[in-house]
Amino acid sequence: MHMNRRQFFRVSGAGLAASSLVALGFSPTPALAETRNFKLARATETRNTCPYCSVGCGIIMYSLGDKAKNVTADIFHIEGDPDHPVNRGTLCPKGAGLLDFVQSPNRLKYPEIREPGSTEWKRVSWNDAMTRLVKLMKADRDANFIANNAEGKVVNRWTSTGMLCASASSNETGYITHKAMRSMGMLVFDNQARV
Amino acid sequence: MRQGEISSKGAWTGNPSGGVKAPDPIILPDATTRFARTATRLEALAVGHPMATWLHFMAQLSRAQQVAANALGHLAGPTQAAVDLAVAARMPPLAADGHERDIAWHDGLAVLLDTLDVDATTAPAREVIAALRARAPAWVEALADGFLQSGVDVEDAGAALYVAAALQVYFTRLAADLSVASLRLLPERGLCPCCGSTPVAGVVTASGQTPGTRYLHCSLCATAWNHVRAMCVTCGQGRGLSLKGFEAGSDAVKAETCDDCHTYAKMLYQAQDTQVDPFADDLASLGLDLLVAKAGWARHAPNPLLLIGAADSL
Repeated sequence: MHMNRRQFFRVSGAGLAASSLVALGFSPTPALAETRNFKLARATETRNTCPYCSVGCGIIMYSLGDKAKNVTADIFHIEGDPDHPVNRGTLCPKGAGLLDFVQSPNRLKYPEIREPGSTEWKRVSWNDAMTRLVKLMKADRDANFIANNAEGKVVNRWTSTGMLCASASSNETGYITHKAMRSMGMLVFDNQARV
Repeated sequence: MRQGEISSKGAWTGNPSGGVKAPDPIILPDATTRFARTATRLEALAVGHPMATWLHFMAQLSRAQQVAANALGHLAGPTQAAVDLAVAARMPPLAADGHERDIAWHDGLAVLLDTLDVDATTAPAREVIAALRARAPAWVEALADGFLQSGVDVEDAGAALYVAAALQVYFTRLAADLSVASLRLLPERGLCPCCGSTPVAGVVTASGQTPGTRYLHCSLCATAWNHVRAMCVTCGQGRGLSLKGFEAGSDAVKAETCDDCHTYAKMLYQAQDTQVDPFADDLASLGLDLLVAKAGWARHAPNPLLLIGAADSL
């Protein structure tokens, strides 16, 4: 047997029997016995970007659980990413409270609607929400689309509807937003950065 | 709103970066405290530990290393021109496998053995000391080369421990005298920028100017260097990374396992225990090594003070 300080190796009882520990007269038995009483717990550190504003601070999210199917990872801590060049581990009060944002019981998880005049929020399916949205947009666009201005020039504007998108979006998301909305003539849209 | 009678000059007087700084890439060791700190920590960890007698001995060894480091004093080391040349070539200036050792390291070894050869030390440990003293300097030199480069035979495991300890003292002394401004991280981020050795463990800091930063600590020269977190220190991947720890135990020590290269390295969280020492805590968490190995991961590199037979090396 051979020992090399540059090698990957598995620490085992057999390996320990031929180690510098044993060579100097110590017994590895207590360490081996100790491991029988313990189980391994698994946690992960995951990089992400804070969803709040356009500064785009890096965060590290800690979660427990073994990523097995049908088991939701439980996030138990969020902190600033010390390696991120934007924030170097720091977070503003909103970012520092992200854990409560993730775990909030009031978190929106599905589409809801409050009909005009109603005080109640009603859960609807994604399909219903999309269909309704598209119908309303089309009705508004058909009614208010401006094809030509006063001088008769072609402008193709739709100024009566606007859209607000999230701030922590990638360039690609921004590109798609622009393509989808501009092609309908929409002028009023923004990637909000100032919640 | 204007306040008082002093009008603004319109010039920004604050700190432009708001006190937020990039972490220091490299922190050189302090040879006057490095081993004493490890010894103190080992003594503290030995209390109630199943391997207490061994940890007490390792604490004695660390104290002897500190005595040797103090006795060795400043060494000549490489010239600034040689350091600059190596750094420009992105090579470690004290490359453990290429560096021509100053014969002074034998003095360090002698002091270390003298300090350790007292009645408090166990009989087998003293026998190995006697056997090592009887060896010719050339044999010791060959063992040092074996330890640093190719590997050592299991029969020499005891002598290799003392030689490794003396080499730690020697390389720590050399590294401590380098100028940090002239050094640069290696392209291979998992290796020490001073001597090119593997780290013993990583420490995720909780204090200082950049809390939360991870530093890897060199197993040979004790230099600490910054390594991006949540990224495997062996293969650089982050996808299959997770932290394994004892279900009921200290939260300060975790094994960072990688499902891409199937290795792990230990990470110590200062936020959980402010006193963590990479060298001491790594030895004291031998149980975690055993459990993680049983679960199928190989250790990224051994601790020089616990050389283990590579029966089933990869």
